[in-house]
Amino acid sequence: MLTAKNIVKNYAVDGKVVPVLKGVSLSIAEGEFVSVVGRSGSGKTTLLHVLATLIQPDGGELHFGDHDLRRLPEKKLNILRQADFSVIFQFHHLLPYLTVLENSLLSCMHRMKPVPKEAVERAYHCLGRVGLADKADRLPGNLSGGEQQRVAIARALVKSSKVIFADEPTGSLDKATGEQIMELLAGLHQDGMSLVMVTHEPEYAKLSERTVVIEDGMTKR
Amino acid sequence: MNILTIPARNIRRKPAKTLLLLLVFTLGVMSIVTLYQVSLVVGHNFEKKLTAFGANIVISPVRETLNIGYGGFQMGEMLVDFTYLPEEETVAAIRAIGLKDRISAVAPKLVTMARVGAEAVAVVGVRWPEERGIKSYWAAVGRFPEHEGEVLVGSKVSARMGLAEGSKTTLLGREFTVSGTLYETGSDDDTVILMDLTALQQLMDKPGATSFIEVAALCAGCPIEDIVAQLRGQLPGTEVKALQHIVNQRMASVHFIRNLALAVSLVILVTAGAMVGLSMLSAVNERKKDIGILRSLGFGKGQVFAIFCLEAGFIGMLAGLIGYLAGFAASFKVLELLALGEGITPSFSFVQLLAVSLFFGLVTVAAALYPSWKGAGIEPSAALVAL
Ligand SMILES: Nc1ncnc2c1ncn2[C@@H]1O[C@H](COP(=O)(O)OP(=O)(O)O)[C@@H](O)[C@H]1O
Ligand SMILES: [Mg+2]
Repeated sequence: MLTAKNIVKNYAVDGKVVPVLKGVSLSIAEGEFVSVVGRSGSGKTTLLHVLATLIQPDGGELHFGDHDLRRLPEKKLNILRQADFSVIFQFHHLLPYLTVLENSLLSCMHRMKPVPKEAVERAYHCLGRVGLADKADRLPGNLSGGEQQRVAIARALVKSSKVIFADEPTGSLDKATGEQIMELLAGLHQDGMSLVMVTHEPEYAKLSERTVVIEDGMTKR
Repeated sequence: MNILTIPARNIRRKPAKTLLLLLVFTLGVMSIVTLYQVSLVVGHNFEKKLTAFGANIVISPVRETLNIGYGGFQMGEMLVDFTYLPEEETVAAIRAIGLKDRISAVAPKLVTMARVGAEAVAVVGVRWPEERGIKSYWAAVGRFPEHEGEVLVGSKVSARMGLAEGSKTTLLGREFTVSGTLYETGSDDDTVILMDLTALQQLMDKPGATSFIEVAALCAGCPIEDIVAQLRGQLPGTEVKALQHIVNQRMASVHFIRNLALAVSLVILVTAGAMVGLSMLSAVNERKKDIGILRSLGFGKGQVFAIFCLEAGFIGMLAGLIGYLAGFAASFKVLELLALGEGITPSFSFVQLLAVSLFFGLVTVAAALYPSWKGAGIEPSAALVAL
């Protein structure tokens, strides 16, 4: 469903071109759970951002279903990001001045038109599913790291995204909390969502159906 | 919950910063509004004081003249018929025009010729309070007439005929006492004898008649042409003439005050606008992460742009609203302190209030345009990676 072919990405650092991805190919089937592992600085985050259309690659091809994502107009990309793709970052995924409920509904708030009632009800339901029903009106500031992560998961649930990209979702959490988050993510996979997860923990990578190793800007077989 | 929720909540998140920004901008708006209101009142009062230095509109009957020449002998322009304006009606009509608030003084006059011994002299009947209202520069040796039997003598007449304070003179068959002589004015007043209008009307057997009426109008709020047009409408059969040079002179002074206020306002506006722009610029840098989140959730560049502009615009509008009210209140205080409040007071207008808050909303949006555009242009991942 999501295919990347020969993805090349360079960064310019002090006028010098630093290659980060040197032709990465990767394909994710519908409902598949893929984990991405590799050393720090190997380009995992960059790859995830390329796949999630948050960054334009310098070369290669990227397709989602029938869509050529490298040539899709900005408007269509935005629609894709609003619904089909969800990104769960390591930290910082919530706007600190919006409540938990509002944060979970953020992708519906891009218009003057108020968020429909059904969406709000759905958001309450999803927050219930991640165990935050009683904290819907709190601000992120007084949530724990794990709780904040769960809001991001609830957001993906509200959107009923097709693909979820998670960048070290347990990286900043203690073991017990990390396990809870992993359980929730596995639940999403069970619901039929595709899941691409960058992780450091071999234990969590084992939960996936397939592990891709990034080394020196390439996928290792 | 819609896109407005985002800027609204962010404003609430940082009450101290928002309040500070609001305070600066409100103070700016307040000073501008105060300056404007004060300059209006000061300009008005200034003009009103200037009207004490002469009229700027003259109303006279339409005169029919005939150029007579006969057998090579030119007699020049001859008045066909000597017509008068009825005093009471005409003054009432002047006082009843739509722009009557702009009429500051109405001074009717009756002019005739009289003989003092062998010499001819012009005699002008005036209403003393009105006349002295528009000729505050008059000064007399002796005093101004206090009753019908007294006259005031122009400086040249006084010199020529030897009339001085206390002299008696017979004009048109009635004896008058000279109450005083006028210091030289450089105007026509130097060559005439001034007396009470009613007395002259009786002597001429023309009760209620006037030769012409001088009007002092305030032109700060509207063009003199409008006042003249309304007077013409009210007074058919008369000639209404604006003394443009006097009008222009006065308006120049009034406009100077206003332009000064405008220039200072502009400086304040630019300063306050720069503050908002600066604050938004730092906010954009501070909030790169927010932009990344929004962009990753499918917010378009335009929507991110709108969120930042709305945030600034909201502060501007609120500042405009509070600033207008505060400035309005402050202008009373300032006028009171300057002892300038008498006569006209600042006028509150709801439309003005709305216009001011809308305008300052736009100013802040304009100030936030560049930072917002910069913020919206950040690539979603760049905003997130920069953490
Ligand atoms: N915006 C950027 N500009 C320049 N270099 C970058 C940028 N983002 C990442 N890099 C560099 O690219 C390499 C890969 O980074 P990243 O994808 O974050 O790795 P990982 O997530 O595997 O730790 C690193 O060496 C990092 O320093
Ligand atoms: Mg990383």
